[in-house]
Amino acid sequence: MKRIQRISFPLLLFFGFWFYSFHPAEPPKIKFPYKAAGLNDRQAAAHLLSRFTFGATPSQIDAVVKQGLVAWFESQLNATYKDDSLKSRLGAYDAINLSNEEVLLNFPKNFQVVRMAINDSIISKDSVGSKSPQYRAAIDNYMASNGFRPQKDLNQQFINQKILRSVYSENQLQEVMTSFWFNHFNVSLTKDDCSHFIPAYERDVIRPQALGNFSDLLIATAKSPAMLYYLDNFSSASDNNPFNKKKDKKQPQPAAPTGAVADTLIARLKKIRKEKGINENYAREVMELHTMGVDGGYSQQDVTEAARVLTGWTIYPFQVNRKTKALERSARFEKEGFVRDGDFLFAANRHDAGTKTVLGKQYGPDKGYAEGVELLNDLAIHPSTAKFICKKIATRFVSDQPVQSLVEKMSKTFLSQKGDIKAVLITMVSAREFWEPGALREKTKSPFELAIGAIRSLNAKVEDPYPLFNWISRMGERIYSYQAPTGFPDKGQYWINTGALLNRMNFGLALASGKISGIRADLPALNQYHEPESSQAALVTYSKLIIPERDLAKTVERLKPMLNDPELSEKVNKASQATAGNDNDMQAANKTTTTAKPARKENVTMLAQVVGVIIGSPEYQRR
Amino acid sequence: MKTSRRVFLKSGGLALFGIGLAGSIPPFVARAVAAEQNKMPFNKRKTLICIFQRGAMDGLMAVTPFNDPFLKAARPNLMMSAAQSANGKSLIDLDGKFGLHPSMQAFEPLFREGRLGIVHGIGSPNTTRSHFDAQDYMESGTPFQKGTPSGWLNRALGLLQEDHLSPFAGVALTSAMPRSFYGDNPSVAISNLQDFSIQMRGNQAGTNMAAKSFEELYDKTASGLLQEAGRESFEAMKILKTADLKNYKPAEGVTYPGSALANALKQIAQLIKMNVGLEVAFAESNGWDTHFNQGTDNGVFARNVADLSNSISAFWNDLSAYQDDVMLMTMTEFGRTVRQNGTRGTDHGRASCNFILGNNVQGGKVYGRVDELSEDNLEDKRDLAVTTDFRSVFSEVATQHLHLKNSATLFPEWKQENIGLIKT
Repeated sequence: MKRIQRISFPLLLFFGFWFYSFHPAEPPKIKFPYKAAGLNDRQAAAHLLSRFTFGATPSQIDAVVKQGLVAWFESQLNATYKDDSLKSRLGAYDAINLSNEEVLLNFPKNFQVVRMAINDSIISKDSVGSKSPQYRAAIDNYMASNGFRPQKDLNQQFINQKILRSVYSENQLQEVMTSFWFNHFNVSLTKDDCSHFIPAYERDVIRPQALGNFSDLLIATAKSPAMLYYLDNFSSASDNNPFNKKKDKKQPQPAAPTGAVADTLIARLKKIRKEKGINENYAREVMELHTMGVDGGYSQQDVTEAARVLTGWTIYPFQVNRKTKALERSARFEKEGFVRDGDFLFAANRHDAGTKTVLGKQYGPDKGYAEGVELLNDLAIHPSTAKFICKKIATRFVSDQPVQSLVEKMSKTFLSQKGDIKAVLITMVSAREFWEPGALREKTKSPFELAIGAIRSLNAKVEDPYPLFNWISRMGERIYSYQAPTGFPDKGQYWINTGALLNRMNFGLALASGKISGIRADLPALNQYHEPESSQAALVTYSKLIIPERDLAKTVERLKPMLNDPELSEKVNKASQATAGNDNDMQAANKTTTTAKPARKENVTMLAQVVGVIIGSPEYQRR
Repeated sequence: MKTSRRVFLKSGGLALFGIGLAGSIPPFVARAVAAEQNKMPFNKRKTLICIFQRGAMDGLMAVTPFNDPFLKAARPNLMMSAAQSANGKSLIDLDGKFGLHPSMQAFEPLFREGRLGIVHGIGSPNTTRSHFDAQDYMESGTPFQKGTPSGWLNRALGLLQEDHLSPFAGVALTSAMPRSFYGDNPSVAISNLQDFSIQMRGNQAGTNMAAKSFEELYDKTASGLLQEAGRESFEAMKILKTADLKNYKPAEGVTYPGSALANALKQIAQLIKMNVGLEVAFAESNGWDTHFNQGTDNGVFARNVADLSNSISAFWNDLSAYQDDVMLMTMTEFGRTVRQNGTRGTDHGRASCNFILGNNVQGGKVYGRVDELSEDNLEDKRDLAVTTDFRSVFSEVATQHLHLKNSATLFPEWKQENIGLIKT
């Protein structure tokens, strides 16, 4: 009530009505207050594109202004573009559409291949690990004849599809949000146990719900094999349930007369029990990292109790031979609370059936799978979660240190709209704080954003994405391989350090001069093949094309003296020789000219140099 | 200021450090210049080098309790004797109880001189036998917390006495930033120091012009973050340029093996000799997950320990003039089963051993407790029990050698228990 009064009273005064406050369930409407912040349409479009895409393509600002900023944003929120051209590019990748089970069958791990090859008498036990070519050939043949493929092919296809989607998808916001939520619910290729399941995790869990509802997203991640393995919940088990109690009673009775057998049975049972156990890792991180935040107001006791609630959340067995048994078992036990949902299994016989209390609320007893769903739903719309998630979203889309007032507005929407992600984004862009000068260009591009953005800025063609991945890794962002569940930190200081910065500059130079294999940039095409009159003209023209809607006067001014260097022409001639090969006549001719319009090849070299410096420049590192 | 900056830029090198350019050069260089008037930009720092042996080294084969009858019984194909034999492939008897693997003979003199210490029965209190989890816990330094954002070596950088760190204070000679270095204190991951430069393949003139342009742009940018990182990057680049990295000549008589580990250590040695302010360095050694055909005096394990010990020993001898300032420590996520498996290898276990080398190490001794390996003494009836928490050793080594202030946050929620490994 207090909140409603505070907001609605002044608005009532000014507008005579205020609809939302009295109908808090009404979703927010898009309103872009950029004019009040002193921006014109083009500047505002540039800002929008810098926030909700992986970088504007050369004509995109005009296109967005023409379409209307609000209309563009709505179309992005709904992510309805068909993306036919992207789909045709992805057509070559067969592995990215496989189910988890198909992935396991097609891409066995090395040690599994070795085991199978031993069982099939293809190799002998004693030869394992041998470096001999015969051994290698035997393994390769074995893999080929069984249709097995190395896991690095899967990872490579997965990484390639991400790069292609980020460069070419029309649904840019969906792809940006996919990156955001993947990093929020981070899993890592560096953890072998979960690596097979990561392509499906992004494809089936993250991307489809990236603009959906936070609760749904949270629950989907909790049930995914990738997360169940990454944070170990698959193994979290309790014997505090009727299934185990039955066994307890059964075991000692028939064995009563013969002590030895009974002892063995009991010992074995105890051992199984001991191996089982509650694993708190997921329960802790779901509160600390996925929902409430480390200062969200939960205790270690809450973590332990939440872990009890989530016991039995595990993976449906993939191996075919175990599967039939499991199917029978789960059919038999369905009425006893087993739940199967795709690759997820709620194993009632591993669940703690007792009463638990998390954050003062009681869960169970004996409610099985529903307890976990209830807990996750409660966590998803906890006020601490609203604050934590909204701050993280504002940090991603506004600045490294978003102002409190903005986070509060977003949190209110988060709570009133029950975790509707679109509604939160709408509240964010409809806020004055989003457009204020302090929020413009306040973000440092991550290496991935830099690389994808540069390709989009130059309209470059991606023929083979993988070399780009190596560059992105070298600049400090090996995608899908951040080891800790925190995900990559989202702050400029993390990305900008000495080693990484030089690599950013080198990336710009390499990209512009065509030295990244698999990527082709046609720089003259960017300016409709109008050759700039001079290197200075090239600097001015291409700065505007690549970094539009910015005041670049200072950058240009600083670079001009270097372009005026009387020795420059000669230097560039030499450079041109190095790249152009043996065109001796042209070199001879060029040696005498210092100011005249340079010849074509030399001009391309000069252009590459200028564009490379623009992409490596401090201005371009920010968005 | 502008002028002096230009002079500095044009001359480019370190020769002008002495002539009062303070203000326009990065603070770390200015301080270094003030500290020392020769061409070395930093005064000597203590350096800790950590080597992570990924895959879990079989500590019982590296340093074998050779009299243990249970071990002999459990490893019919994996046990060596310390008795001298004609072929010289017996264990190196260290103290009547433990024998060093014969392929680690390079370690023997270091141990006898008292510079090399060994801790046996070292491991994590968390019983996970997953490589990923155990490495993660060991590198974050929080064995029960997955969400710890920082790594322990990054926290160590934060506890150094200096207010300002060199851009080379923390360097991992790895292609990706290791978990140990995650965190807010600046650290660099680079697999080849020669990459620390502006590069355009086959275009030297273009490279020079680009480097000049970038330096100017970053020097004048309005963004404090980019400006500072830019300045430091170019200074660091120039410092490295003064050394002929490609044609590095180790100290006389020293030959590094050709392995990845040796290459990493060689580059660390170069950084140390350049006095660039390196304080924590990190390198990796791979291939320790020996489930199959582990071998004895030759085979995969023997090759691994040979590379480890030969690389470390070359590094140590290469740094003969710097040994007082250098300490090196190995680590591995866990040990391996006492019993050999069905494929003449060993599976994931619990405790292993580690090596600590330095002039301030009270070496020549095997620290820790290794009980007789009867089933009752094993963890879960199968593994060498963890009797020394890895944090005891890591924190003693780092705190003493690097003179860390207030080391309580190095390993949060844990109370330091020194084992007396380092001279005080």
